[in-house]
Amino acid sequence: MVILVIATSIKTLLVDPSRCTGCRTCEMACSLYHEGKCSPVLSRMRIIKYEALGKSYPAICSQCSKPQCLSACDKGAIKQNEKTGAMNIDEALCTGCRSCLTVCPQIGFHPQKKVAFKCDLCGGDPQCARFCTTGAITFSGVDEFLMTRRRAIADRAVLAV
Amino acid sequence: MVDGWTGKRLRIDLSRGTTSVEEIGESYRKKWLGGRGFNSELLYREVGPDVDPLGPENLLIFGVGPLTGTFAPSSGRTTVTARSPLGGGFGDSNMGGHWGPELKFAGYDQLVISGKASKPVYLWIDDDHIEIRDASQIWGKLVLEADAMIKEELGSQEIHTALIGPAGENTVRYACIMSDVYRAAARSGMGAVMGSKNLKAIAVRGTNPVNIARPEEFYQISASIRERLRQDLMAQMLYDQGTWLLTMPANYELGWFCWHNFQKGNHPDAKKLSGEAHRDNFLSHREGCFACPISCGRFSKIKEGKYAGEITGGPEYETLTAVGPRIGLLDMDKVVHNNKLVNELGLDSCSCGGAIAWAMECWEKGLLTKEDTGGLVLEWGDQELITRLIEMIAHREGFGDLLAEGSSRAAEIMDRGRDYSISVKGHDMSQDDPRGLGFAFGIGFVTGRRGGDHLQGLPCLELTGAFYPGLVEKILGSKEAEAPLSPVKKPEMERYQEDLKAVGDSLTQCTFTHSWSFAVQPEDMALLLSAATGLEFSAKELFEIGSRIVHLERAYWNRLLVGRLEDKSPKRFTQEPMPDGPNKGTVFPEAELIPRYYEVRGWDKKTGFPLPEVLKGLGLEDVAAELEPYRAEYQKKIEETEAEATNPA
Repeated sequence: MVILVIATSIKTLLVDPSRCTGCRTCEMACSLYHEGKCSPVLSRMRIIKYEALGKSYPAICSQCSKPQCLSACDKGAIKQNEKTGAMNIDEALCTGCRSCLTVCPQIGFHPQKKVAFKCDLCGGDPQCARFCTTGAITFSGVDEFLMTRRRAIADRAVLAV
Repeated sequence: MVDGWTGKRLRIDLSRGTTSVEEIGESYRKKWLGGRGFNSELLYREVGPDVDPLGPENLLIFGVGPLTGTFAPSSGRTTVTARSPLGGGFGDSNMGGHWGPELKFAGYDQLVISGKASKPVYLWIDDDHIEIRDASQIWGKLVLEADAMIKEELGSQEIHTALIGPAGENTVRYACIMSDVYRAAARSGMGAVMGSKNLKAIAVRGTNPVNIARPEEFYQISASIRERLRQDLMAQMLYDQGTWLLTMPANYELGWFCWHNFQKGNHPDAKKLSGEAHRDNFLSHREGCFACPISCGRFSKIKEGKYAGEITGGPEYETLTAVGPRIGLLDMDKVVHNNKLVNELGLDSCSCGGAIAWAMECWEKGLLTKEDTGGLVLEWGDQELITRLIEMIAHREGFGDLLAEGSSRAAEIMDRGRDYSISVKGHDMSQDDPRGLGFAFGIGFVTGRRGGDHLQGLPCLELTGAFYPGLVEKILGSKEAEAPLSPVKKPEMERYQEDLKAVGDSLTQCTFTHSWSFAVQPEDMALLLSAATGLEFSAKELFEIGSRIVHLERAYWNRLLVGRLEDKSPKRFTQEPMPDGPNKGTVFPEAELIPRYYEVRGWDKKTGFPLPEVLKGLGLEDVAAELEPYRAEYQKKIEETEAEATNPA
């Protein structure tokens, strides 16, 4: 059994959908950074759009503490990166059986390479969060993220005259 | 493999029910860039002077460019082009949203629709699967419902639609095309052309990548521009208040807030429509077009009153003023509701407001009576009347049928109130008054490619340029040109901005990144384009391409025998001094500035036609040759008109 990095001690990608403008800059940053091409299909995260409501939702791998993708992979292709805590897919070991993406929809399937691919936190500097100007996607510690949101609620109660 | 572009043009002939794909070669791509450039070239070549704008021979062209659907900031725009049923000449309209990038991902730089379907249809473009589908169930539906029905029928929410509402179906001459429900290709009647072809919608889904020649370099350039936009005050303000931020300076500082059809440039209560008031009381959330870090888009919710509970995309400044103060309204809930109404019906808010304002002013001056209006009383600001008129226009009912022709034609049909149609070349002005907004804008209003409109050059050098120390002086050699109401260097300013905007519309990159915010400079655009395509472009070459596009669009009008005589401002701006406000007494100095603009452009002062050597210098030898007989004919037209003026029969 792989010993997982404890999620609260490291930074991870966190999402606040209410701040998402649906611009999909993140999809472009992701696909260009990893694949050298601009394509939503090649992005490791996607924006789900509700156009009639003007709302959007960033769908991103949360690098779970008990990752089902890891359990589903019997080829040993999914491993945790000790530095970032991200579950990474070893393309050389992946057979393209798609077991992982049947248990979790945050994993993609590369249309040309025919292997699974997923968010690797860009080695510790996730580009989606880097270019998200509104704070819909942030890269931070879970507690820091929660305290920021708690403080926003508290501000309304305490600072409002 | 092509980098940047897809190199493909998709043609769909609705009369025959056939589709074909053509290659767009490298020399053509370098000459015309993409988007607006591709579209204008095709329109000039294939839609001649004899084509009826609402006939099957007119083309409806959608174009995207080499940067569309990439990481380049604000690169998701689309140009829609056709001969305009409103002005009768060149027509195009530019829309944001996510539809254009989806067309690119499906594999096409350009979609060209010809002919006319025998019954209502919609198009389904799913990569290389192209289908013309029955739209009989969707015909007649409002935009929101039609979008939902198409997604339901095709079994996917991951589809982007461009569609028309009832106004387009009824060929209201200023019907728009709505994409992603709330984004409009609004101006010059592109929705009427779509309706005339019995085409309700175009649904697109694409899975192909956009290839980038030098991905790492492209990434770094985009990243540094994005960082600059993040630090940019103008971009931050657009995010904070959207284009609503214009209300306060337009009304209280500059005096170009369009009140009662431009009769005045300010109103003491304009603050009711301020950006802050919208943000604090009506803003539900902000929306971004594809890959845009600015996200000026608004989504509004009405919390109180008759329309409580309504939600809608927008409005932005032009719409809020068109269906607001231009027709006598200052209440935000009414304005937001009217925005929802025109969007759902598929009407261009500017021309719709322009037509209603024309009728209201005619009523005020006693030129229209109940006999003309079918019993309607046309008082300024009567919300019940206004919502009823908007519905009547979209369905061409009663008096609405007249207003559906646009203010200019309506004045001709009724043979009265011509001076109250605030339009140029039959195309209603957006809510921008050159007597306060500025004189470079004024030049664009008079000479613009689709008639009266602020988006010919969007010369923000005289609106926001002063926020960028040294910028105006660097570009034009004069700091004085920063002042909106200074005539200094205004023809040069308008030329610079027109050529640049033609480039932006062709790449495609939103004008707000390089004019309004000036965070993106022409050199940046050249770097982005070079890294994306692997071909080398300099800023100078881009300006040459932009100028080529502007000149071809001008030649389109010239071929219709439209030139200097028709480059005419509404009399209100040249003969009625602004009655009060900070710019009291100002008129637009048309007689001084238009000849100077011709000179700066290298256009013949007598005809307003570009000189042959100018066209040749831009690689338009064939156009120069083709225009010669038209030039001679137009000269005759001028002589006759002038003879008539001196010796009235």
